[in-house]
Amino acid sequence: MRTPASTSSSRQEGSTEVSRASLADAERASRLVVELKGIKKSFGSVEVLHGVDLKVHSGEHVVIFGPSGSGKSTLLRTINLLEEPSAGSVRVLGVEYGPGLPGERAEKRGGPLQLRRHVGMVFQQFNLFPHLTALHNISLALRSVRSLGRREAEEKAGIALRQVGLLPWAGHFPGELSGGQQQRVAIARALSLDPEVMLFDEPTSALDPELVGEVLAVMRALAESGMTMVIVTHELNFAREIGDFNVFMDEGLVVESGPRGFLDICENARTKRFLKAVL
Amino acid sequence: MRLLANYDWGLIWENKEDLLRGLLVAIQVAAVALVLSVAIGLVLALLRLGKPPVSWLAAIYVNVFRGVPALVSVIWVYFGWSLVVGISFTVFQAGVIALTLLYSAFISEIYRAALQAIPKGQREAGLALGMHPARIFVQVTLPQATKIAIPNIGSMFIGMIKDTSTFTVIGLLELVRVTQNLNSTTFQPFVLYTAAAGLYVAAAFFFDFLFRAFEKTLTTPPSGGIARAAAGRRRRRIELVMKDVEALSGKT
Repeated sequence: MRTPASTSSSRQEGSTEVSRASLADAERASRLVVELKGIKKSFGSVEVLHGVDLKVHSGEHVVIFGPSGSGKSTLLRTINLLEEPSAGSVRVLGVEYGPGLPGERAEKRGGPLQLRRHVGMVFQQFNLFPHLTALHNISLALRSVRSLGRREAEEKAGIALRQVGLLPWAGHFPGELSGGQQQRVAIARALSLDPEVMLFDEPTSALDPELVGEVLAVMRALAESGMTMVIVTHELNFAREIGDFNVFMDEGLVVESGPRGFLDICENARTKRFLKAVL
Repeated sequence: MRLLANYDWGLIWENKEDLLRGLLVAIQVAAVALVLSVAIGLVLALLRLGKPPVSWLAAIYVNVFRGVPALVSVIWVYFGWSLVVGISFTVFQAGVIALTLLYSAFISEIYRAALQAIPKGQREAGLALGMHPARIFVQVTLPQATKIAIPNIGSMFIGMIKDTSTFTVIGLLELVRVTQNLNSTTFQPFVLYTAAAGLYVAAAFFFDFLFRAFEKTLTTPPSGGIARAAAGRRRRRIELVMKDVEALSGKT
């Protein structure tokens, strides 16, 4: 069902340099970055995830969509252990971080701090630190997590801001920036730590329609640069364009999933009903 | 009016040094107690937000000492401790400890509310970046909570200065004690206590101004003179970084 290397092979144009590059791409793409198995999550007595599997390969862009309350955000948040799964296996770059599957032998587990060094996350509400400038939002992360000195951290933060086109806004506080700009700073903050995979939790849902475009443009550029991405979104046109692998969730389960073009060929009645209502 | 003129208002000016010295002692005791109260209050707030049974102990402490009058507190500390434990404090120390016992309880409640007002997304953002929880607390949650807490802590401080007036009972030479002493030789209570009240109010205005200025430095973007000076330094730093990064991008 899945062809992780399909995007890169389709780009081959005969020149040896390109094909060598795409071979390297294909090799990298076969590497599993995130592997979720049998993820269950309960809040109190309510189970919101009933055993979900998900694989994310290097360079792949996975889109998760579905109605509110379907558990898609919760699933995303188990990848970096912001939600601790009640059961199941969370494997990132081959290391087990979750409680594991019943019956499987206990493996060496990593701690959440170690996990989060490899996983960047962007939130719906941006979650910038309001008491710090755009630049210091980023340099604080670099100083705390990478133990950089002040000068080096600020310089790297400036480079990250330039990547999202906001270097001139370095000295502004989040309250002085538009929603779109804040989200771009948040993306730069996560990127500055060189994550292996970026998680996006409805990154444009809190934005004015006018500002959605600039955030999607940054995400598109990031996707083109080969970043591994997992995106929970309601922007289905964007999903159609970017999604190498698409997952439709409802009521705590994966209803249906498929490769590029999935939105047009999906078969499940529930998926179709949802798409009809949204598109 | 003639009635007022019958009083000897000149007394205030004649004894201005003693009165001011009394106010200064009151402020000193309150200031030392404020620093301790904020530190202990913060710890109490964290304990109370934590898990039982420790949170219960913190709650009991808070409710006991919010209920105890300053007068009783200082008598416990000054007379009680020397009797029970055999440790005796100077009147200044006893005043500081008595105030700290009371106001750490109040300030813990102020900080508890302020900490709870910080959206949980702030902590989550820090966690998602891979920051250590302690670092998130110190650099993300605490500065934001402090900004919320400052106006209330300012009110507490003014209350603390006033509460030192009860320490006259242990003989601390604060403003009310000074006033009493002057009164015992001049028999002009109306004049002298009015002067004392005026000084307390003046102190209230002064510290309100001070705390407001501090509060302004914590708003984003900061406003006010002190804050602008600090912000200017930061802006120049950031401009330097921006120039460096642009130069870097020119090369590559």
